[in-house]
Amino acid sequence: MADLPPMTTVKRWLVTTNHKDVGILYIATAIFFLLLGGAMALIFRIQLWEPGGVGILSGNEFNQAVTTHGLLMVFWFLSPIASGFANYLVPLQIGAKDLAFPRMNALSYWFYLFSGVLLIISFFQQGTFAGGWTMYAPLNVPTYTPAMEATTGGNAVILGLMLFVISITIGTVNFLVTIHRSRAEGLGLWNMPLFTWSWLLTVWMMLFAFAALLAALLLLVSDRVLLTQYFATDQGSSLLWAHLFWFFGHPEVYIVFFPALGIMFETFQTFTGRRLVGRKWVIIAMVLVAVQSFLVWMHHMFLTTINLEIKTLMMATTIGISLPFDLMVFALIYTMVKGRVRFTTPFLFSLGALVLFILGGITGVFLGAVVLDYEFRGTYWVVAHFHYVMVSGVTALVGGIYYWWPKISGKMYSETLGKLNFAVYFIGFNMLYFPMFLAWETPRRVFHFAEGAQIYHQVATVGAFILGASFLIMILTLAKSWISGPDAPDNPWEFSRTAEWAIPSPPPLENWDGRPSYASGRLEFVEDSPAATDGGVAHGQGNQAEAAIEHEEEHADHASIWPFGIGVGTFVFFLGLSGLTPYIIDFAEGTPNPPEGLTGIAAEPNIMYPILTLVGIGIMGVTLYKFGMERFEVPEMKIAERWPFGGVGNTKFGVWVFLASDVVVFGAIIGAYIFMRIHMGWHEWTTVPFASWPGLLNTYVLLTSSFTVILALVMAERKNKKGLLGAMTATLLLGLTFMGVKAYEYSMKFADGEYWWYGLEYSIYYVTTGLHALHVILGLFIAVFMIYRIISVDAYLEDHRPVEFFGLYWHFVDIVWVLLFPLFYLM
Amino acid sequence: MADLRTYTIIYVLLLVLGTGKFVFFEFDFAYSIAIGGTILLAVAKIGLIAAYYQHLIEEPRSITYMMATAVFMVFLLTIAAGYSIQ
Repeated sequence: MADLPPMTTVKRWLVTTNHKDVGILYIATAIFFLLLGGAMALIFRIQLWEPGGVGILSGNEFNQAVTTHGLLMVFWFLSPIASGFANYLVPLQIGAKDLAFPRMNALSYWFYLFSGVLLIISFFQQGTFAGGWTMYAPLNVPTYTPAMEATTGGNAVILGLMLFVISITIGTVNFLVTIHRSRAEGLGLWNMPLFTWSWLLTVWMMLFAFAALLAALLLLVSDRVLLTQYFATDQGSSLLWAHLFWFFGHPEVYIVFFPALGIMFETFQTFTGRRLVGRKWVIIAMVLVAVQSFLVWMHHMFLTTINLEIKTLMMATTIGISLPFDLMVFALIYTMVKGRVRFTTPFLFSLGALVLFILGGITGVFLGAVVLDYEFRGTYWVVAHFHYVMVSGVTALVGGIYYWWPKISGKMYSETLGKLNFAVYFIGFNMLYFPMFLAWETPRRVFHFAEGAQIYHQVATVGAFILGASFLIMILTLAKSWISGPDAPDNPWEFSRTAEWAIPSPPPLENWDGRPSYASGRLEFVEDSPAATDGGVAHGQGNQAEAAIEHEEEHADHASIWPFGIGVGTFVFFLGLSGLTPYIIDFAEGTPNPPEGLTGIAAEPNIMYPILTLVGIGIMGVTLYKFGMERFEVPEMKIAERWPFGGVGNTKFGVWVFLASDVVVFGAIIGAYIFMRIHMGWHEWTTVPFASWPGLLNTYVLLTSSFTVILALVMAERKNKKGLLGAMTATLLLGLTFMGVKAYEYSMKFADGEYWWYGLEYSIYYVTTGLHALHVILGLFIAVFMIYRIISVDAYLEDHRPVEFFGLYWHFVDIVWVLLFPLFYLM
Repeated sequence: MADLRTYTIIYVLLLVLGTGKFVFFEFDFAYSIAIGGTILLAVAKIGLIAAYYQHLIEEPRSITYMMATAVFMVFLLTIAAGYSIQ
């Protein structure tokens, strides 16, 4: 692989896979989206200057600005900036040289960037999505928003969000494998730095929560592009969306807040010169919150038709989740009391975050009570509350920027400017959000409000500009530091304790000269001889030569252009998909039973979009192939703490983590079927397939293909090339047979004019079995690639692990069919 | 890893269990029995595939716990959402 170009070149930033570079890319991009989201907020705050608006935005433009502000801040700013810190710092804090899968890490970033580009482009596709950041059904489908005649921009936003979630999923797998399997010797989980702890729990929550969102978005994209009916019926659509969205959405609150909490723990320790009081209890409290976060989602649905029993239960769990947070808050306060505080800029921001979070948390308890929520729901009380919570997180994240700026840039900043930044920020924040509590009766998402609330809204608007100005001060402070600031020492903070401060600022490419170890109870850098790390000592010239070769082979690569290429291909593909709806409508109108109410819901057909779709597929095909063929060395740490995932390799563990995520994606989609069927009445359901025998036949076909895959593994272990090739080819043929039976089954329905828009049951049948078929097709592409490698380079005979990894995926696809067969063909 | 004989026995078992689900609904069983029986057969099939074909029984137990957590999430979402509209 090519060497990594210098940082001053553009090429460096296109090809880099190094965790620190990717971290910087994440942070810079997230700040760009922060400014964009902030600009949206300033525009609609001007509109809110007087009741009825000042007229700078039309109703639909106001909706677009509010929606995009929410989407940008929650998705494209908050999590990614935390991801940037985690990219840069987590490997340093745990003693690793990089993330477990550096190219996947770069891919994750490019997917993130291009997902945001899709959102920006949507403004130029005759208007972006305007249905609110929560995308509630049925506002999320064009049928119910006739004013939005052009749905292409809306599609681009939903597809962009889907790409963002894919980026998150890849990152999640990467971080879980890294933190669990690449910790320096002696660094047990209990002793991990608290920022890494907060990020570990964040990614665990992300793994399950974002999978539910991905399922919801897949169904929504299907509705918007293919005209299925998930969110357009009066048979539970809006409840289905609310369940799927908030099953993700509530853990998301902690997903965005936990990294900020981690920064607060780190900075409180450093600037009070004291270990966090009750450290182990704080970790236990964070684990409790992570678990409880999945048990409260229906408190966002108190005003829907769900029953009172479940509302009461969710009220109890919601109040329960505040208890571990109380413990964390008291631990922070008591750490200040026991230590000697140094009021540096990072500490001021962290302390400010604590104060604001306490206020945000207390006002949230009101909303967790069913009866009070009936009154507060949909008002500015909610807006004020969640900004006090979420933006208190931002406050700590800004503290994190100042805290780690000397490490990342190698330059010190002006404390005077930093403190000025904090003062302006804190004043602006409270002027912006506190009046919203006072103007609580204002309904959210509209610019009409009572005359009496005008003064509060005007103060809030002034506050918004002051808060916005504070970010300009931050950028100015950092720019001045970058240009003329003094060089930063390795450790500018007297009492910082984590490993990143033990190396130069900025750290070298490979992070460490020796191997970090905590075996003695404190951080040391150990020099291992290459042979000794293998469990032996070198004797004689032959062994030394082997050791030298081994050392040479351990060189880590840091550059690959293919993640960027795959990102470009996927972006072009998704952009193409955003404009396919008019073609599907044209097609539907030519069938015997077109869906009702199509008039005016889509833009005019534009040939550019089908072309982009095909071009995107082409680019993806080439770049994925090149990615698969590239030789890219990522040495696995020979000595590392791996509890509780020792005894399994990095890649295999990564595949398992990915499958865990896919279990939730498929499970949520199957759950959607069960939910909608219960809502309709279980026995009212129409069975869609024309007969059950094709399902049984495909059961036999897929089970047999699972057997041939396991046979391929046995043959690979025996180094039997013919056997391996035969078993893989049989798998390919069986997969194609499965698809053939499926095509026959679909064609029987199409012949009767029964397409996926024919009714809810049809939508659910086609989408669920279609998504499964898509998994089969992806598996077949991998099988073809592997067969090509077996024929061309005798692959997998020396190292059969890729066959096993493929099998893990293929068997999972088989398991899904075990459920789909009875659900759709028999019951 | 298991030997070829074990894999073959499991394959035959899977075919039998798959056919069993079909039998429940094609022959004259009560609907509730057919559903209950089918769920049991599906769980048995999934267990066999995961344990032996995906070699879960040979992996660290923590992998099983992780996958069980993912399955729990699905049940939590589906059952709680289903109950909420009763």
